[in-house]
Amino acid sequence: MFTWIGQFLSSSIGKKTTMALTGLLLVGFLIAHLAGNLLLYKDPEAFEAYARKLHDLGPFLYVLELGLLALFVGHIAFAVRTIVENRKARHSKYAVQADRGGKTLASATMPLTGTIVLLFLFWHLIDFRFDGGFKGLFADGASGAGAADVVWNTLGGTAHMAVYLLGIAALTLHLSHAIQSAFQTLGLRHPKWTPLIERGGVALAVLLGLGFASIPFAAAIR
Amino acid sequence: MSANEHDETIDLTLKVWRQRSGGAPGQFETHEMKGVSVHSSFLEMMDVLNATLVRAGKEPVVFDHDCREGICGSCSMVINGQAHGAEPETATCQLHMRKFRSGETVFVEPWRADSFPVIRDLMVDRSAFDRVMSAGGYVSANTGSPPDANATPISREDSDQAMDAAACIGCGACVAACPNSSAMLFVGAKVSHLARLPQGQPERERRVVAMVQAMDSEGFGNCTNHYECSKACPKGIGVDVIAQLNRDYIKATVVRSN
Ligand code: HEM
Ligand code: FES
Repeated sequence: MFTWIGQFLSSSIGKKTTMALTGLLLVGFLIAHLAGNLLLYKDPEAFEAYARKLHDLGPFLYVLELGLLALFVGHIAFAVRTIVENRKARHSKYAVQADRGGKTLASATMPLTGTIVLLFLFWHLIDFRFDGGFKGLFADGASGAGAADVVWNTLGGTAHMAVYLLGIAALTLHLSHAIQSAFQTLGLRHPKWTPLIERGGVALAVLLGLGFASIPFAAAIR
Repeated sequence: MSANEHDETIDLTLKVWRQRSGGAPGQFETHEMKGVSVHSSFLEMMDVLNATLVRAGKEPVVFDHDCREGICGSCSMVINGQAHGAEPETATCQLHMRKFRSGETVFVEPWRADSFPVIRDLMVDRSAFDRVMSAGGYVSANTGSPPDANATPISREDSDQAMDAAACIGCGACVAACPNSSAMLFVGAKVSHLARLPQGQPERERRVVAMVQAMDSEGFGNCTNHYECSKACPKGIGVDVIAQLNRDYIKATVVRSN
């Protein structure tokens, strides 16, 4: 009954479709994540109220987190599979290789930028999810006051600045290829829309990058 | 890039890939080519090299060729790192030596992809494409005789797009140029060509599924949308055929109930 799913997921196009869908959903998450973070600039209470609301979701927050984890695992699992298969598809390398302008810095470094994003993610989760300063702030109906200060204090140092900027730069480069690439993978190509999608994808990648990068900068100059 | 107007000949240093068989190790062999006519094609220059080699009692360089007019797709050579050389939309047989500078060093390699094993020197086995085609790259329903084709109404846009896809000569430059050795441009062209014509509709879904299955089992890589394929294609086939292939495959496997 479900064999078609296995067949689809083991086909080259099925693998790429899964990467494109999980990738686009992750972009959706990033937009929401950044929107929440930007509340830091409004006032500390706005950010704390937002964080409070997330925590009030209770078990439902775990469901959301599991969903997010599934997106990452799915995206990365198929990324690893396709990278390995693509390496295997050409054992003997060209002595001379001259690209014709299709390949870009972003498209050629997808495995690298993806890996940097993943490593950054571990660091980021340790900062704010596992044993970060938020611990206790939201326990047992605590108000969450001081959450904004935790962000500023955590991100203030040079080590954090360097790691965050590297991670965010890799993410920006990854997305500058990824967003339009996902549309092509899903078969959504159109003479009128594709030029907009290509430019819009890069614009969204840069906006997300600038938005996220602004936070460690703001922390540094406080 | 072109030779001096007054010079009718150029001198080149040719580095040609020599490999006795698929399993054997290969290496470059250097040949100084003196007085190459700028009016000759790349293959004619290779013919001159081979004539010289034969006269010297050596093995000629094995390379694939047939029509020498850019329609059969057999002249597979990677020239200075580019499939069919640097000229846009030009097969190796149509590439003229006036496009090279005197004194230049020119590297000539075979298509490199595990799905296209080297037979000898520059000649590779492209039968993987034949197997993909026999999986579904045809119409088996009776579509009538040639006059009947004119009786089937088809929009100008559809016929133009089908013709663009049908321009594929199956040379394999897309695979050779793809950093992932993916065959998506070739398979996309073949699927789109028939998907855009009324005659292709009855078998459209079965075709795309079977051809993608055959493509995957031949060990071609996964497309990551670099688009080097389209830039290398001697017929200038666009990556819209890859989008069509993706769309048709997703529809046929995920959306359709059967
Ligand atoms: C927030 C994190 C991430 C987002 C939003 C994201 C998004 C995307 C999108 C939309 C694509 C395009 C898929 C397509 O072309 O069809 C993609 C491709 C890819 N991603 Fe990610 N990705 C993320 C993290 C990662 C991570 C952690 C890796 C890990 C190793 C990774 C590796 C790749 C690779 C190798 C590709 C394939 C390149 C290609 O197909 O062009 N990504 N990503
Ligand atoms: S020899 Fe036929 S296309 Fe070049």
